[in-house]
Amino acid sequence: MARYRDAADLAIKEMGISFTVYSDGTNIDRAWPFDVVPRIIPASDWRKVSRGLAQRTKALNCFIQDVYGKQRILKDELIPAELVLGSPNYREECRGVTPKHEAWAHVCGTDLVRDEKGVFRVLEDNLRVPSGVSYMIENRELTKRVLPELFENHSILPVDDYPAQLYKMLCSIAPTDRKRPTIVVLTPGIYNSAYFEHAYLAQGMGVELIEGRDLQVRDNNKVYMQTIDGEVQVDVIYRRINEEFLDPETFREDSALGAPGLMRAWREGNVAIANAPGAGVADDKAIYAYVPDMIRYYLKQQPIVKNVPTFLCRDPKDCDHVLQNIEELVVKPVNESGGYGVFVGPHSSKAEAKRVAALVAANPENYVAQPTLSLSTAPTLTPLELGPRHLDLRPFILQGRDVWVSQGGLTRVALKEGSLVVNSSQGGGSKDTWIVETEH
Amino acid sequence: MLSRVAENLYWLARYLERAENTARLIRSYNHLIMDIPKGTEPSWMVLVDILDARADYEDRFQQQSELNVHKFLVTSATEHNSIRFAINRARDNLRITRDALPEEAWEQVNELKILADERAHTSTSRSNRLALLDEVIHKSQALTGLLQTTAPRDHAYRFMTLGRMIERADMTARIIDVGAADLLDREGAFSGVEPILWGALLEAISGKSAYRRVMGPIVEQAPMISFVFKEASFPRSLFFCVEIIRRELKRLPKHKNALTRAENIRRRLQRFKSTEEERLKLHKFIDNLQLALNKLDEEISLSWFART
Repeated sequence: MARYRDAADLAIKEMGISFTVYSDGTNIDRAWPFDVVPRIIPASDWRKVSRGLAQRTKALNCFIQDVYGKQRILKDELIPAELVLGSPNYREECRGVTPKHEAWAHVCGTDLVRDEKGVFRVLEDNLRVPSGVSYMIENRELTKRVLPELFENHSILPVDDYPAQLYKMLCSIAPTDRKRPTIVVLTPGIYNSAYFEHAYLAQGMGVELIEGRDLQVRDNNKVYMQTIDGEVQVDVIYRRINEEFLDPETFREDSALGAPGLMRAWREGNVAIANAPGAGVADDKAIYAYVPDMIRYYLKQQPIVKNVPTFLCRDPKDCDHVLQNIEELVVKPVNESGGYGVFVGPHSSKAEAKRVAALVAANPENYVAQPTLSLSTAPTLTPLELGPRHLDLRPFILQGRDVWVSQGGLTRVALKEGSLVVNSSQGGGSKDTWIVETEH
Repeated sequence: MLSRVAENLYWLARYLERAENTARLIRSYNHLIMDIPKGTEPSWMVLVDILDARADYEDRFQQQSELNVHKFLVTSATEHNSIRFAINRARDNLRITRDALPEEAWEQVNELKILADERAHTSTSRSNRLALLDEVIHKSQALTGLLQTTAPRDHAYRFMTLGRMIERADMTARIIDVGAADLLDREGAFSGVEPILWGALLEAISGKSAYRRVMGPIVEQAPMISFVFKEASFPRSLFFCVEIIRRELKRLPKHKNALTRAENIRRRLQRFKSTEEERLKLHKFIDNLQLALNKLDEEISLSWFART
């Protein structure tokens, strides 16, 4: 096994040498540790999860459309109105807009974990600018280089068609009927830690990678980019910048990353933006608890993939329960991502538990809590041997005219024994994920 | 292709070519002074004059010494005429357009930068200096070769080629202008070393063996200048550069104005008679040629890089 790890290290160096050696600290994510032991999921299990993810994404999009439209779900009091309308992720500027196919969250990265029975549950939905998909593809490339023999005897479903699927989805939301709409990937630039991925996807789709300063919104509310052929109208923007930076006319005035007037153009329907501004309203750890209700409400179906049980501290009963059992729970701030501010009860000191309890008691609406079943383990190659490490799984779901779910996804793994934190920014690594066809 | 990306690639190529050409120029000068008797060699300041940077130099340094010129033209990170500065600029340009070129190109340019940074303070002895210049030239050539064998011949490649050729033509013209001035001003006083000096000029543009094959082994003023200006087979001659520029321009959209500029330069070169090598006339000719190159550069910027 150690030989395989060395081979993988070498391949990483060969494939990405410039990112690790000459990084200047700007591409830290590229050096994300890779574990050579693939994680295996039987295709029969995966099919059900895949259906569940498609169902969930549809319901989330119905919800976002509803929130910025008729607000039926709020009027029917299924979800407390103040929870939605008071969220910092709710954007009044999006009220009354109907994107094509009523799709808002075009690219979702949904984090899954297995519970104690081995059943996949959704840990959170990432609907703003989820990243990591390039690692999913690169990890497969690495495994093919390091363990080519394994591919002879297994039928492993491929993952490398993602850029093509993304392109197809982006075409389907273009406001034009032209066969090849002008699509761009909007990046905040080389200093962003996911810049590698932005460039990767732009290259994979054969479209321009642009920055906000390349875009101009004219008085006709159409978006143009300056090319060597002159100005070219842009139909679809796959944005990899947070929405508060998209348009200094509407959101943060000090933003130099976006382009003034983008929101005008989008509201007029002259340009599609993926993910749509405002989609983050459904990506909130408090709203998360209501997704199963959304599925029943909008789709009249039972949820195929369940949530992890979640206590909303804004509810006094739940809050009491959380405060009394804080040492066994995982406590998360509602509006953070990247694993920041997460408190893991069983792994923390009494003093730390006390500190977090005080925070929760002071601002209960800012916190949710979940039982610590959250992460299953898989064999992982440690410096000495194979050992169990906690992991999660992030599949990618695309929704335009159709819904598409990746075969597997990005498996993130905690590299420290016992650690539950898998985020790359906090010492996590990743594995290739195989969806293996078991019936012949 | 985005205008910003096109502009970055154009300047990437210009800076890389500038670094390589400056290295060639200084290397050939270093060789020259070893060959000719003390007292007859041109001043180190000839190098500064070729880069048209005397005012900047005098701002910075009191003494016109070999070491100061070396600092000024090779190792300084802040002087705009130095090789190190050009390499850093090239890297800055590539850094934001990395996805437009093969991945190895980035690695090569990085290696150049690391080389220039690390050796900046250790390359004071003559032999270390020459070794550094050699490496800059080798690495630049490795990069050119890499692009030639792996880069698709698309607009990205086209803008790089334009940048490289304009920079090269400009540098060739400068070298001949200042070098010839130094020689012709001697008015035959040192006729014994003249062939060596002309030979050094040829070497500065790596044209020595090509010259021998085309013109024979004797390096004289008239055939030498004619060769450097008009020889269609030599890749560093002005005529060759202009031919490549014309070829690449024709493959770009909206090329009419820029092509007119390039045709103008081509006509000037065709009309040039090598009997015109009288000092003042030659200088005037080169001056006008450089103005025409600047006009071409402006037109390229206007046609493809500017916001409409």
